[in-house]
Amino acid sequence: MPRRLALFLLVCLCTSTLFAQDLSGIQIHGFATQGFLLSSHNNYLSMQSSSGSLQWTDGAVSFTDSLTSNLRVGIQLHMYQLGQLGGPNVQVDWASGDYKVNDYLGFRAGKVKTALGLFNDSQDVDAIFLWILLPQSVYPADNKSVLLAHLGGEVYGELPLGPRGGKLFYSGFAGERILDRNEGYVQQLAEDGLTFATPPEGKTYGGDLHWQAPLRGLTMGASAAVQALSGIASVGTLQIPSLLVTSPYAQFERRKFYVAGEYRRTPASAILTIGPEVILLPEDQRSWYVMGSYRFTERFQAGSYYSHYVNKALDTALPANYSKDWVLSARYDFNSYFYGKVEGHFLHGTGLGYYESINQNGLKPNSNMLAAKIGFTF
Amino acid sequence: MRKTRCLILLLGLMSVWSAARAQDVVLVANKSVQISAISATDLRAIFLGAKTRFADGSHALPVLLKGGPVHEVFLANYLGESPQEFRTRWQKAVFTGQGAMPKTCDSEAAVIEYVAATPGAIGYVSRISPQDKVKTLVPHN
Repeated sequence: MPRRLALFLLVCLCTSTLFAQDLSGIQIHGFATQGFLLSSHNNYLSMQSSSGSLQWTDGAVSFTDSLTSNLRVGIQLHMYQLGQLGGPNVQVDWASGDYKVNDYLGFRAGKVKTALGLFNDSQDVDAIFLWILLPQSVYPADNKSVLLAHLGGEVYGELPLGPRGGKLFYSGFAGERILDRNEGYVQQLAEDGLTFATPPEGKTYGGDLHWQAPLRGLTMGASAAVQALSGIASVGTLQIPSLLVTSPYAQFERRKFYVAGEYRRTPASAILTIGPEVILLPEDQRSWYVMGSYRFTERFQAGSYYSHYVNKALDTALPANYSKDWVLSARYDFNSYFYGKVEGHFLHGTGLGYYESINQNGLKPNSNMLAAKIGFTF
Repeated sequence: MRKTRCLILLLGLMSVWSAARAQDVVLVANKSVQISAISATDLRAIFLGAKTRFADGSHALPVLLKGGPVHEVFLANYLGESPQEFRTRWQKAVFTGQGAMPKTCDSEAAVIEYVAATPGAIGYVSRISPQDKVKTLVPHN
């Protein structure tokens, strides 16, 4: 771990004069972050956070080339370590060709980020957020790959609604998603006794429609996605029949203020077969958050959010079936490339982000946490 | 004492000159661009990556200054964004595979050179930069 931190710091120091590279039209951009998490009780997100953990490193590099005025191709490689999740393997975050016929119609194909809600497609780009952890009720850091991208395609565009009507942005997608075998769901299934040689996968399709109102800064929209998932393990199977995820949202930004909110419903009941035993895992996730922030200076920004998750399919009075998180955040940009963040969490319930393997003495219902992160981007 | 006063006066004059210079941002485009005026909405959409064509349908290729007062005044007055907001918007596009950063130049002279040599290019410089190799666009609401 210290080696990883040293490598991160070395990269930051050596590249402090590095600008985004543009080699004969090929653009190269990247980012690297190092986080720290300390919790009063319990170990969160598979880190030894109760004794302070630095097992939180993220890095990506992207290559993009505009081949013609309408056609762009690119790839982004990504590596992350989040406690016991992730690891040294470099993954393809996205890799796509993007053909924009005109401003009203475009196509993307390949491994494409999935547009769902406000932040799904950008949730792993730490540099663009004030928050260290996005609201975990809707954007769980330990299970990003479930929704983050799909293999397939996307159609997108915008429809102007006249000088007083604003603009309508649409996107529709279809393809297949594959779980990251080093991520939370697969880890949780392993704790249930299912170890997969090949990660579970399934078909998905859906879309997003949002309205950019004539009142500048106001956006309202809704996303929906149909998903299914199945996998065969050495001693059993996982089956999640087709389900509909819905996600209405709104955001408003005006000068230094930003407010946003989103609701998501995920009725994702799973059927596990382990040997002769069939286990039903009923899930009806109701998640939402509201957030607000203010930019005090060009370099300093602070804000707060409340994130709420409850599994309505089970006893909602039990801490294991809910998670409610009050969060305070601050961010300081040292320059265009370096930034630092600090964040306090007041977490009630144990419904999200906890793993038995690293909490073998059981879980306390509440925990406070302090998170810090430094990041570099070019 | 007198030297110090002169120095303060000189620095003051320099900052006033710099601010006045920064207010005088001119939109420049390649001579192949057919339009002579551009709406604030189109200008914003082109520089934020939401639009890739001018009103006449020809391809638009925005070019940016890396930083400095002219860049900041352009972002504030024409796009209504701070440098941080503008950077964040483009980072989101780049790291999600939804866009490629516009070409960035170190100096106004480099912007003029690039715009002059690139069909469809549109950029901004201060009024004092020579503009004979490019055409100027008039912004309107």
